[in-house]
Amino acid sequence: MARTLRSALLLAPSAVLIGIFLIGLVRLIASSVLFDGQIDLHHYVDIMNRPDYIAMLGRTLRTAALTTFFCLLLGYPTAYYVARYQGNRNILLLLIIFPWLVSIVVRSYGWVVILGPRGLVNGFLMWTGMADRPLKLMYNDFGVVMGLVHVLLPFMIIAILSVLMQISRNLEEASMSLGGHPFYSFRTVLLPLSLPGILTGVTLVYLMSTGAIVTPLLLGGLGDTMIGTEIFQEVMHFFDYPKAAALATVLLVTAMAVVLPLQFLERWLSKRLTDGAPS
Amino acid sequence: MIARYIGIAVLLFLPMPIIIVVLSSFTSAGYLSFPIKGLSLRWYAEFLGSADWLRVLGTSALLALIGAVVSTGACFAAAWAVVRHKIRFGATYETILLAPLIFPHAAIGVIMIVTLSSLGWLGTFSGLVLVHCILTIPYAYRPVAAALRKSDAALEEAAASLGARPWRTFWMVTLPAVRPGLVTSLLFTFIISFDEVTVTLFLVGPFVMTLPVQVFSEVLESASPIIAAVSAALVLFTSAMVFILDRVIGIQFFVERD
Repeated sequence: MARTLRSALLLAPSAVLIGIFLIGLVRLIASSVLFDGQIDLHHYVDIMNRPDYIAMLGRTLRTAALTTFFCLLLGYPTAYYVARYQGNRNILLLLIIFPWLVSIVVRSYGWVVILGPRGLVNGFLMWTGMADRPLKLMYNDFGVVMGLVHVLLPFMIIAILSVLMQISRNLEEASMSLGGHPFYSFRTVLLPLSLPGILTGVTLVYLMSTGAIVTPLLLGGLGDTMIGTEIFQEVMHFFDYPKAAALATVLLVTAMAVVLPLQFLERWLSKRLTDGAPS
Repeated sequence: MIARYIGIAVLLFLPMPIIIVVLSSFTSAGYLSFPIKGLSLRWYAEFLGSADWLRVLGTSALLALIGAVVSTGACFAAAWAVVRHKIRFGATYETILLAPLIFPHAAIGVIMIVTLSSLGWLGTFSGLVLVHCILTIPYAYRPVAAALRKSDAALEEAAASLGARPWRTFWMVTLPAVRPGLVTSLLFTFIISFDEVTVTLFLVGPFVMTLPVQVFSEVLESASPIIAAVSAALVLFTSAMVFILDRVIGIQFFVERD
């Protein structure tokens, strides 16, 4: 009995903190559907009836999908290269971890310096005479996706790398020594084994790009909003909290629709892979 | 082979914008441009001479310090119950502690507005402390739980059977064994809290402001190179933390699975 009490006391501080978060979550959803104690869905009806909101949701999903795609395309080979690197791997890890821990404000600002009208790219183009006036490289979808890929790529690399480091190189070599073509070995051995890492990386990058505010605002401007920047405007400029709550709920639902199935798949795969592996 | 080229390109690409920000902070021009026009430290002088920027820096440091200590403490207690007491549904509880990780930041921002305004803490330092404690929980739990799992409970039993009182056992046996995990958690959560911006920007007010949020609003409003100098200071700070983390536990900690 004393032990149960002690366990409860030990769990209390973290339970209070996470409890406050979960209560806030319930209240957020409640505040978006309740008006004077009555269920009232007019914020959602408003959102669905406004073509600009529908376009914004479409833009959010497209940007998140593109960002996730490019992060996977660049992240997987990088993780593979680092995992199989023979020399001092810590230096390579440093090149991933250090940028990852620098504030996203600083990293997004770096892209403003690179892509801006007086920035690196335009400076180079005008110096070489390839352009006679600055090109518009930011305040468009290109700038936003570029910035988001850069900011979120470390999450993808770390997720895949942590799985790849556990897969023995011998498995790949065994497959190849048995006559498997490198790509065949990759497809039949390495890819299925690294799938949990891919799923974790895709989940994180998708989640963080749908809910991003700082990067889209700095590199995309206030014109073509995404759902995160729209929420930011509703709160900071129009003080319309119920509308922001409804938009945040829409964001939660869109994120969860993708994240939860991926998480279950990842759990199931990890369990199957560890159960099947001789330890 | 292709993996090698992509890998090298990506590893050079990741630090590039950061290096460019740092280089551009040494400009002597009154506007931001790259390559820079003339070398000077005037923007650093302006940053360090500004009471406003220094106050914001102090707020961020204090916030991150309290957040790191509270969430590391809360997670160490929770990990003790899960690992040592082997409570029922321990694995489920661990998943619940990771909950803040699977919500989009913009949504967490609004959740926290709702929470803090009901407490009357919106735009206050206490409100920021509460939110940063919650946000850093998932980052604190992993290192402390891993350290507790690795430490040997049999040593504690041996100390107790030799007559050491529980507190003495804790100070002399348990704490030294889990110290790397605790230090890692403190440093890691300190960085996460110090750099946090997306959720915090909803919660600051006229009386309280953090450094990254201040940088963010300055970038939106002006192109003054002082932002580059402040950013360079943030980069220097992160480098120091990464260096210490590498010394304490090794950088490969971030890519290990348990």
